[in-house]
Amino acid sequence: MKPTDNSENFVRRGKAKVATDPQMDKRVLDDSFAAMDETAAGPSIVRMIAHGRAAKIVAAAVIIIAVGLLMNQPEPPEQKPPNIGNVTKSPVEMLSAMSLNMAYRRGGLEAMDDLSNEAFEKLGSKPAGVSVRELLTGSNGV
Amino acid sequence: MIDEKILVWKFNRKSKDALRRIYEKYKDDLLGLAVTLLRDRSLAEDVVHDVFVSFARTAGRFTLSGSLRGYLSTCVANCARDRNRLKSRLDVGLDAVEDVGTDSDDPIESAAGSEEAQRLQEVLGRLPYEQREIIVLHLHQEMRFREIAEALGISINTAQSRYRYGLEKLRSILNSTVTK
Repeated sequence: MKPTDNSENFVRRGKAKVATDPQMDKRVLDDSFAAMDETAAGPSIVRMIAHGRAAKIVAAAVIIIAVGLLMNQPEPPEQKPPNIGNVTKSPVEMLSAMSLNMAYRRGGLEAMDDLSNEAFEKLGSKPAGVSVRELLTGSNGV
Repeated sequence: MIDEKILVWKFNRKSKDALRRIYEKYKDDLLGLAVTLLRDRSLAEDVVHDVFVSFARTAGRFTLSGSLRGYLSTCVANCARDRNRLKSRLDVGLDAVEDVGTDSDDPIESAAGSEEAQRLQEVLGRLPYEQREIIVLHLHQEMRFREIAEALGISINTAQSRYRYGLEKLRSILNSTVTK
């Protein structure tokens, strides 16, 4: 079979067999090893972002989300000062409570009633209502 | 194939021994391809050098989809095409005549030595680069048209038609030389 009869076989058979020389091998391997060493450190985050399209998009998305979160963060609730009035009685009320308490310890409900009557007499504004004893009698049936 | 996978796995772990073995395995084949495409031994050596240096830079993130030989052949073909364009531009700029064959490092002389190989190199040299590229990748590197088309960024039909026209021209050149 002539080569012209089958061009494909002719091309296949005529494949050039070229061999590299040691000088070329050394040059290629030295430079290749050096190139490999350059990449040995591994890609930094900055380099990954700079070279990768997907990384750029992700980085931009993270920045946008972070800024959005900072902008929309709710203000901290204002701390209301404790209402002292709810906690601490006024001096007049405290004194009244203390005096009533002492009167109760001293003589029970009668003493409390007497004390309140005495106070109302001094103030001159005794209500027309009933006394404590009368109230208790009405509610407890005692 | 398994050997190749293991080599690539080791290569991705920055193994210089793996890189050396890959080079040793494919260097002559790739140099032959570059020489056939460029018809210039020193240019071909530069192409193989550049391809392996670039390949070494991919260590750690290299993924192999086909065969390693096909991948490296594609790299050589692409790099050779760039060199060929540059060479053509320089030749046109200098109004120079192709001087292949005058160099003592002529690939035809340093090839297998057989008359058939020398003749093939001469005939291939007379084909347009695009046709020569497809023929060599398909018949020498045993790449499929689909692989070639993907590697060169052309359609399969274009690759096949270039191959067909190239073979026809090659046949006519051979016929004309036989009848002389």
